[in-house]
Amino acid sequence: MTAATEIWSYRNLIYNLAQRELRSRYKKSLLGWLWSLINPASMLAIYTVVFGVFFNAQPPTAGNGRTESYGLYLFAGLVVWNFFSGTVNGAIIALQTSGGLLNKVYFPPSAPAIANMITVVLQALIETAILAAIMLALGNGSVTYLLFPVLLVFLSMFSLGFGLFVSVFNVFYRDVGYLVGIGMQVLFYATPIIYPLSIVPSWALPVIRLNPLTQLVEWSRDAFYNLSWPSLGPFLATALACTATFVVGWAVFSVKARNIAEEL
Amino acid sequence: MSEPAIIAEDIWKRFRVYQERPSSLKERVTKLSRDRYEEFWALKGVSVTVPQGTMYGLVGHNGSGKSSLLRIMAGIHRPTKGTVTTHGRISALLELGAGFHPDLSGRENVYLNAAILGLSKKETDNLYGRIVEFSGLSEFIDTPVKHYSSGMYVRLGFSVAVHVDPQILIVDEVVAVGDEEFQRRCFEHLNRLRSKGTTIVLVTHSLDLVQTMCDDATWLDHGDAKAQGPASEVARRYLNQVNEHETERIEREAAAGNEDAVPHGTTMSIDGVEFLDGSGNATPVGTPLEPLTIRVHWRADEPVESPVLSFVVWNENGVPIAHPSMIPIHESGGPVYEGAGFVDYRIEKLSLSPGVYNITAAAHDRAGMTAFDRVDNAATLHVQPGSVLVRGVVDLVGSWRPLERKVTDGPTDRLRPAVTPPQDLMVPGDTP
Repeated sequence: MTAATEIWSYRNLIYNLAQRELRSRYKKSLLGWLWSLINPASMLAIYTVVFGVFFNAQPPTAGNGRTESYGLYLFAGLVVWNFFSGTVNGAIIALQTSGGLLNKVYFPPSAPAIANMITVVLQALIETAILAAIMLALGNGSVTYLLFPVLLVFLSMFSLGFGLFVSVFNVFYRDVGYLVGIGMQVLFYATPIIYPLSIVPSWALPVIRLNPLTQLVEWSRDAFYNLSWPSLGPFLATALACTATFVVGWAVFSVKARNIAEEL
Repeated sequence: MSEPAIIAEDIWKRFRVYQERPSSLKERVTKLSRDRYEEFWALKGVSVTVPQGTMYGLVGHNGSGKSSLLRIMAGIHRPTKGTVTTHGRISALLELGAGFHPDLSGRENVYLNAAILGLSKKETDNLYGRIVEFSGLSEFIDTPVKHYSSGMYVRLGFSVAVHVDPQILIVDEVVAVGDEEFQRRCFEHLNRLRSKGTTIVLVTHSLDLVQTMCDDATWLDHGDAKAQGPASEVARRYLNQVNEHETERIEREAAAGNEDAVPHGTTMSIDGVEFLDGSGNATPVGTPLEPLTIRVHWRADEPVESPVLSFVVWNENGVPIAHPSMIPIHESGGPVYEGAGFVDYRIEKLSLSPGVYNITAAAHDRAGMTAFDRVDNAATLHVQPGSVLVRGVVDLVGSWRPLERKVTDGPTDRLRPAVTPPQDLMVPGDTP
């Protein structure tokens, strides 16, 4: 609990670090903030053309019983993936680059990673807003959208827990960063993002299902595409897994990051 | 008030120094770990108690562990052993403008830097105007700081730092950067903070600073506390050791350099210059306001009547500080110099401020027109900080007279009702 109060007392620093990242991101660009909109929008357009038109992939029918868009189906999963990879990679970079500052002033070493996650949350909100707007325009709206805030909470815990865990080891062994790079690619394909869970062969299904990201991606699709609620058992299991990841990641980070300033 | 601001008890700090020498492939494969390091103890059981509202100095040579102790007090590093207890909000000033982002404007960086130093958004909003005004950069406040000169950068960083209002301020040599004006403002501000009751811990090389500003101090040497207590006492003991080392070093260098001394002039030559302390012993070191004798050795191959010997004292910037010269004697019958000998120039109170001075010695004929010999860099005088502080280039060796009240009945005074003298001229205990 003391950790929570400490983070709270440094909220202004976290806010400012996040602001610094956002402000410096689009400095000297004409469109500025618009790029946060243009990037996901063009990504959605590309996937729609490549998978929907060239590959003619067959997506499941959406909750309204009419819409069939592979691009949107994919995008619902990608929102979750982008959040995860953005938080993990950001946490590694944030800790690695704040060495100069951590040696000058005291602040919780997790603050830069949290600040980074705030920028990722903003990006996810923009992407989700685009997704929701298109879905609504297609007449595919439902109260299941309300699942999204819940998804965001558990996704944040899972991503931050994992990100803090790998970021602290990366300080001691830079190999971790490279391993994470490879691991992320494996994980991307081990998560049903560009393919539906239904095409996974039955022997691989238990393994794929064990991946909490699989469940989180499914939640996102349930909320915005299928317009259904996830079943209770897997929901609770996923919530538990995310919480456990966060607690373990945070605890390991707290212990290992004690003397982090000297190592950076 | 009674509770100390910082109590550091039995602090030990071990650092690991990683070896980064290239290793063979075989070594790399067999030893996968990079745990090739040497350990050294930066602090070996140091205890420090800083009372509230005082200014505390940490002195010591480079690598003595003072910065490590400072970082541990600030909570940036953790002690390997020992505990630190602090009472009050700590702000550490180890670098000005820490965390400035080059692409962001001055305004944005003010907010960022203030947040790093622990200010809330609201506090920063309230202080923003004063911060910018103090920095004098209002014209450039919306320019990205990467276009700032280093001076502007420091000014903005300092301006933010001084407006943070901590209960405990930890300062590491920050005052050593910047120009005179900047340093003066730095000191002024530290004094102002102290008078407001802020506890200040200062790491510094400047003994002047320790003596004039600090209440207590610790002298660290290779991780041990060599002396602790009142700042002036600690500074004095530290100084004694520094002077000892310095004297040894200068003597060693002098011994090495003596061999290539050669005679110069023909008729009369300067053979060397040495310094004697108050008790007549040769020394390479002078102390402000202490006696010092400058002895100029000469040699004359043929008799020279009434030569004029003189020397110039140059400071480090090549400015001639003084040029004492013998008074020419035009009448015959003056002293005749022949063979070898020396003349002394006696100073009752050395008025030079601490620093390094070069001596040029010369011998002229009685008219002061023809130079027999002139030796540049004849000797180097190291003036060390002593118990009395000399500010400025020289001490004028004057003394202040006690207060005298001006008794006036001139026309200017009639403008004011002459009832009582102004309060600030009253001596304590003067009123009946």
